[in-house]
Amino acid sequence: MVKYSYVGKDVPRLDAIEKVTGTALYTGDLRFPGMLHTKLLKSPYAHAKIKKIDTSEAEKLPGVRAVLTGEEAPYRFGIYMSDKTILAIDKVRHVGEPVVAVAADTEEIAEQAVELIKVEYEELPAVFDVRKAMEEGSPLVHENLSEYKHAPFVYPKPGKNIANHFKLRKGDVERGFREADVVIENEFYQPQVQNVQMETHTSIGQWLQNGQINVWTSAQSPFAVRHLLGVGLGVPLHRINVVVPYIGGGFGGKAGLHWEPLVVLLSKKAGGRPVKLVMTREEQFYTTAVRQGFYGRIKTGVKRDGKITAMEILYLWDAGAYADYGVNITRAAGYSCTGPYEIPNIKCDSITVYTNHPYGTAYRGFGHPEFHFATERQMDLVAREIGMDPVEFRLKNAAVPGRITATGEKLREDAGRVDECIKAVAEAIGWGKKEPKQVGGKLRGRGIAALWKAPAMPSFTSSSAILKLNEDGSVTLSISSTEMGQGTPTALAQIVAEELQMPIEKIKVVTKRETDFGPYSWQTVASRGLFMEGNATLDAAKNLKEQVKATAAELLGVPKEKLVVAEEKVFVPGQPDKSLPLASLATAGIFPDGRGIGGPVLGYGMYTAEGLTNLDPETGQGLPALMWTFGAQGAEVEVDPETGDVRVLKMASAFDIGKTINPTIVKGQIYGGIVQGIGSAFMEEFIFDQKGKLLNSNLTDYKICRAQDIPDEFVFIPIENPQLNAPHGARGVGEHPRISIEPAIANAIYDAVGVDLFEIPMSREKVWLGLKRKGERK
Amino acid sequence: MIPKFDYFRPKTTEELVDLLAKYGEDAKMFAGGTDLFVLMRDRLIRPKYVIDLKGIEELHEFSYDEKRGLRIGATVTLNELLESDVVKERFGVLWSAAGALADPTIRNRGTLVGNICNASPAADTAPALLVLDAEVEVAGKGGERTIPIRDFFIGVKRTSLKPEEFVKAVRIPNPPAGAKGGYYKWGRTRGEDLAVVGVAALVVNSGKRIVRVALSSVFKTPLRVPEVEKVFEEEGPLDEQIERAVSAVQEKIAPITDVRSSKEYRIHMAGVLTRRALKELFGGS
Repeated sequence: MVKYSYVGKDVPRLDAIEKVTGTALYTGDLRFPGMLHTKLLKSPYAHAKIKKIDTSEAEKLPGVRAVLTGEEAPYRFGIYMSDKTILAIDKVRHVGEPVVAVAADTEEIAEQAVELIKVEYEELPAVFDVRKAMEEGSPLVHENLSEYKHAPFVYPKPGKNIANHFKLRKGDVERGFREADVVIENEFYQPQVQNVQMETHTSIGQWLQNGQINVWTSAQSPFAVRHLLGVGLGVPLHRINVVVPYIGGGFGGKAGLHWEPLVVLLSKKAGGRPVKLVMTREEQFYTTAVRQGFYGRIKTGVKRDGKITAMEILYLWDAGAYADYGVNITRAAGYSCTGPYEIPNIKCDSITVYTNHPYGTAYRGFGHPEFHFATERQMDLVAREIGMDPVEFRLKNAAVPGRITATGEKLREDAGRVDECIKAVAEAIGWGKKEPKQVGGKLRGRGIAALWKAPAMPSFTSSSAILKLNEDGSVTLSISSTEMGQGTPTALAQIVAEELQMPIEKIKVVTKRETDFGPYSWQTVASRGLFMEGNATLDAAKNLKEQVKATAAELLGVPKEKLVVAEEKVFVPGQPDKSLPLASLATAGIFPDGRGIGGPVLGYGMYTAEGLTNLDPETGQGLPALMWTFGAQGAEVEVDPETGDVRVLKMASAFDIGKTINPTIVKGQIYGGIVQGIGSAFMEEFIFDQKGKLLNSNLTDYKICRAQDIPDEFVFIPIENPQLNAPHGARGVGEHPRISIEPAIANAIYDAVGVDLFEIPMSREKVWLGLKRKGERK
Repeated sequence: MIPKFDYFRPKTTEELVDLLAKYGEDAKMFAGGTDLFVLMRDRLIRPKYVIDLKGIEELHEFSYDEKRGLRIGATVTLNELLESDVVKERFGVLWSAAGALADPTIRNRGTLVGNICNASPAADTAPALLVLDAEVEVAGKGGERTIPIRDFFIGVKRTSLKPEEFVKAVRIPNPPAGAKGGYYKWGRTRGEDLAVVGVAALVVNSGKRIVRVALSSVFKTPLRVPEVEKVFEEEGPLDEQIERAVSAVQEKIAPITDVRSSKEYRIHMAGVLTRRALKELFGGS
């Protein structure tokens, strides 16, 4: 029995007091001497040539320190597809795209200066629909697609509006359809939405005259910012320091690089003064990145006994004007295209399409909330067609350990169990139980949807951790995975405390991330943080113990192997005289005669994703997944047939997270994901006019969940089948609760009122329309 | 950012009258500012002068008289209204409308007078004031006058106020004895939203039936539907009357399709809410 047990316990969040007292600092709180403020001149057109820019009046305005145009910033940036400059050059590609940036002494002056800038445009034909954008003769959003640098696993089609075409071919789809008793085809749609972080994108940049670049930014991934900034600008990385304080919500929208190059270039032009940019809420909707739109078409072949024989899948992604992240979302959705089922014959085309909409980026779930709406609705529609219970149908085809995924991966024996998740959720929502359908004029129904997701990342990404032993025996953990609400640092402190067998109060996790000092981490994305940082942190703790033991072995005159580190000591069990406090070894060990030995103890640990491979460019076959986290969501709804109002009475969720490190933090993730999903299911949607102008670029008309909109009841069932190469067996679950909310609710709405919905959001009006059409058909 | 403006905070209505006489066309008044500053930030309006009414003590008067009824000054906030037992017990339709407007933080600043002066077709308190036959006390250089609420709204965001005039208070006579009322609001979500449709109804069900109905978000102004009142002037089975009232409402309104709703859904919901309102108000007596 160990003395200190933290893993699996409700340790309070490390950042709680700082955040509730308002002392936690975010990028927007930072002020520096001489700091300038930025405002942007943005395109009023969805697609237009820039004929002329006249900034002369703006430059004359007192207090204006730098006016920057695209021509002065001819750098392309990107992580997967370098298709974007920081300000438009030659043409604009979406309404809200920045054309000129002004840095001035105050925000007011910068705003006045922007109003003094004159830009002449020549409007070009624009394209807004992904299917039209793929047609021959459609206006081209990027004429020079062939010149853009991109990751090797991205397949753009120059001369077309296609930034990536991911192909997956498994088995023989034609044969699969011939073997099927029934073939069913449906189309599904999800609109562009915004991540709606509480903190809008905020960055401060400084390019000093000695060549040093400093950046403070609300970014998820400090090292990715440094790398992409350095590569884009052609500046050596050791000349760039990126600092990330707390982040007020990321949800994917702050992954990679965003506005950091702009503030850095403005600073250079302003002689090295720090330059700050805070996006307004409106700019957060139409200037900065958003979630892609989705169109899906799925054809499923199935035997009467419920075995799926084939799936033919088309996913089109409305990437908007730029597709840096879009290309990889397309790929991730492509290799996971079936959802958590074993399908013998698959043909999938997942295509990133450029349009003149705001540009897409990562959003919690990375394409999975979008395509699972299609696949999990389709599962219900197919089950209904063959007269099978939807739960039984899912279990029959479930991708359980040993079965083969779409990319030909045989699921490892210690993979999670989607079947257990489905069963747990079915039980929690009373699946199959006879309950009154009609309650006071309203109709009740239940729906289920399963899900899976693996971290979408290059095959070789890595993380590291540094664990410093302090002079009093306490330890300080440095990692570069950021804290944006997900709670990973707290979980890592628990892991360290348990590994070192010391009180958690003696562990600090550094709150600020800074590339000059912090250990490398690829990105804080993809639900990979706990798994990868967790493994690196465990490795660092073991390394620290090794260093301590090596010195202690010399001082105590015992073999290293006999020593144990626990309770802030290093000792030989059962020999009280063979023991040293850790504090006495922090800077160096000391022999009785005063000689020193060893040195400051600095544990280092790392972890590199294991067993991943590239995917075949023609068939998509290979090993893309570090871990699959499986889950299921169950919804119980009550529909008002007169108004179309849907109330979610209960959401039950189960995820095979391997091992719970901190139950309260996990629940926070689960409930938060569900609430975000409910916003998407019922209300979130970009509404454009004919010219591509966003009509609801504010929280008045872009609705997100309020307290009144959330379910009456949440039930979370953790499933814990540990994954052996994970820290304590724990898998990531950051994104998963956000997935399969929409289809679970849509399936429940059908169960309640017999209306099939194929479009998100399922607004009151759309449900009412569905009911009305159903009534008219009768 | 909000564009620059000159700010005045008069202490008396006389000072205010002078300011409006001088700057009327270029000035905007505010109490809560929950509409004005949003419009200014969005550059939809750019007044040179902004006049803060909160410094005038007189405008903060909020009183009730058994004979004359309720008088609500221009700077009385919606939360102050909601905290009043008289409003809750005797002017239930107004109380429920005020409670349906935005959310508690906005109601902490927003005022009833501001809500009607903004004159949005979606103004939540306007239909309640219409069924209560409220009167608007107006003052300006030319003296004081009273505008019946039914003549106050003349178009989308337009009132019958002259540029040099301001609203001192809203007066609401006591409703007919035994009256019950409520505001039935429909939004896109359960949480805070602007009205897709709002229906205010006032019902007396002792002896002769009296019914008044007014709506928000279905016409260029908040709209009272007198045809509903006529339906109930004659005797008849209640259910039949309610259905005739629903038809009267649906015939009278002329909603638009916008980012919040289609015209068809508004017409449908105006009917649903009218029916629900009348059934509930009649049923509970």
